[in-house]
Amino acid sequence: MASAAQTVRRRPKLRAPTVTRFRHWSLRGAAITYLVAMIVVPVAAIAAEGFGQGLDTFRAAMASPGAWAAIRLTLVASALAAIINAVFGTMLAYILVRYRFRGRGLLSAIVDLPFAIPTLVTGVMLVAIYGPNTPIGRAFGSAGIQLMYSQLAVLLALCVVTLPFVVRTVQPVLLELDTAEEEAAQVLGASPWKTFRAVVMPAIRPAIAAGALLAFARALGEFGSIVFVSGNLTNKTMTAPYLIFQLTNQFKPEEAAAVATLLFAISFLLVLLTSRLVRTERKEAKA
Amino acid sequence: MRAPRFGVRLFALAAVLAIVATACANSDSDGGGDASEGPCTPPDTPVITFSAYSTPREVYGKIISAFQTMWKDEHDGQQVIFQESYGGSTTQAQNIVDGFEADVVALSLAPDVDYIADAGLITHDWTTAPDEGMVSTSVVVLDVRPGNPKGFADFDDIAATGVGVLTPDPASSGGARWNIVSMYGAAMHGYAGVAEGDEAGAQALLAGVFKNVIALDKSARDSIKNFESGNGDVAITYENEVGVAQDAGLPDEAVYPPSSILIENPAAVVDVNVDKHCVRDVAEAFIEYLHTDTAKEYYRTVGFLRPTDLTLAKAGDEEMGFPPIEDLWTVDDFGGWDALAEKLFGDTGIFTQAFAEAQG
Repeated sequence: MASAAQTVRRRPKLRAPTVTRFRHWSLRGAAITYLVAMIVVPVAAIAAEGFGQGLDTFRAAMASPGAWAAIRLTLVASALAAIINAVFGTMLAYILVRYRFRGRGLLSAIVDLPFAIPTLVTGVMLVAIYGPNTPIGRAFGSAGIQLMYSQLAVLLALCVVTLPFVVRTVQPVLLELDTAEEEAAQVLGASPWKTFRAVVMPAIRPAIAAGALLAFARALGEFGSIVFVSGNLTNKTMTAPYLIFQLTNQFKPEEAAAVATLLFAISFLLVLLTSRLVRTERKEAKA
Repeated sequence: MRAPRFGVRLFALAAVLAIVATACANSDSDGGGDASEGPCTPPDTPVITFSAYSTPREVYGKIISAFQTMWKDEHDGQQVIFQESYGGSTTQAQNIVDGFEADVVALSLAPDVDYIADAGLITHDWTTAPDEGMVSTSVVVLDVRPGNPKGFADFDDIAATGVGVLTPDPASSGGARWNIVSMYGAAMHGYAGVAEGDEAGAQALLAGVFKNVIALDKSARDSIKNFESGNGDVAITYENEVGVAQDAGLPDEAVYPPSSILIENPAAVVDVNVDKHCVRDVAEAFIEYLHTDTAKEYYRTVGFLRPTDLTLAKAGDEEMGFPPIEDLWTVDDFGGWDALAEKLFGDTGIFTQAFAEAQG
């Protein structure tokens, strides 16, 4: 900042601040306009459509068959997916950062795959591997566990789709973490697990929480893969996004909007919570 | 030291998530497989998994509860549980072939049922059921803006320059094929400005209409939703779709081309699955029930569908506002779906060529 100010001061006196201010404002204006046009306006429009008549529209939406069950399933499965990915995502991130082994680059690339593959393909893929007609599906089936077209299928799909979040939020924090502390702990006789818990964990905890919350928020809206894996059984495997889709199909866009508003209100709260978690931890780290 | 406060917060969050998780685990456990090999003992409470295309969801909601009541009365209070799944017709068929264990299917067109049969899951000839396995019908109509401002009357009107047409994509929507077959058949029957039996004329008509197509949506319902949001001058769709839209308070208006295909929606028992679940008697009773007058009344009044009998369907229904159709015919007029699939949608098929022409 200081050096930038100095370079500016060397230029002709009147023009420089004007140009900078103009640049500053046009940059800010463009960025904000983009954000408003792409996110704020559509979100506001949906919220207005869903709750323009007060709670009546929402109540009507909830009266459609399987509506509550769909929302409950979505919340529960998303939460579970977030927890599972918090555990395995942290493990993956730790391995990727702290260990050097052949195929590490490949592993790192694979972690990002769920972001790159269309979720529809994820759904088709899961059925192709775990469907009731496949060897794996049959093995689980004979043990009484139905992998696809069940609530478990919804959970599986959500786990796959949200896998990268925790890995990618924890990884940079781990990278910045000084290994000297860990080494010191080990030299002093702490077990690897103790070292991880006492030294590494406190530093990466907010990142894990942030990643898990993002994963949860993302899971709430997942649709593409669910279409193929859930079987969409009313009251059993129908999810909230599928409910929204069905409501629009019944020419009830307001009711669809009401359910959609509920979902992104939850997402938004979680995102807010995430940034607060991260900020608090930063302050604490500085203190 | 302030860290514990953060820890407490994190712990609280984890606890909430864990409670939610337990709730899920509990509700997960009731979804276990009840299928058993060997001799089949009918369950005390039969569970029928019902897979249908999405349009008649409300109709089936009513028919199913009426059937449940009837079954209870006739079987000492036995409750039949229905697990209902609604989605795109072809997606539903695909899921069943992939192992979704539906006992009864109600789909939008016969080839979707045949697809399940070809996979070996339906082993009986489902077309020998009453009404040849069909439970409801409809006709192809033009969905226009209120008052029909462009004065459309037949398919050649929407092939004119400057008309914006909406129709679903025949590559992804099985139902979209009804529209194409209907236009082809009308032309071959001497309607829509084409001489009777003039195949080149039929192809030119299809090319003209598809040149005007502004969006190929993935399903018939998406096409209408698109039309509702203000796109295009006309959507090629079915009478019952317009009925549902009007019932929802939308300003849709149907124009009836004088010649239309009879759109027939089949329903069938999936043999392999009913035997696995030991619910054949209930499933077959349900299929039979779909052909009763009670069910037909629901199809008519809730689903805006026509009867399966060609003569009755052709005559229309004044009470429901279904006009008579001058020239109503079925796929059998052109040798059935298999012959049509080859003739229209094959590599050198009439539609394939017309579509290429329209794109070029």
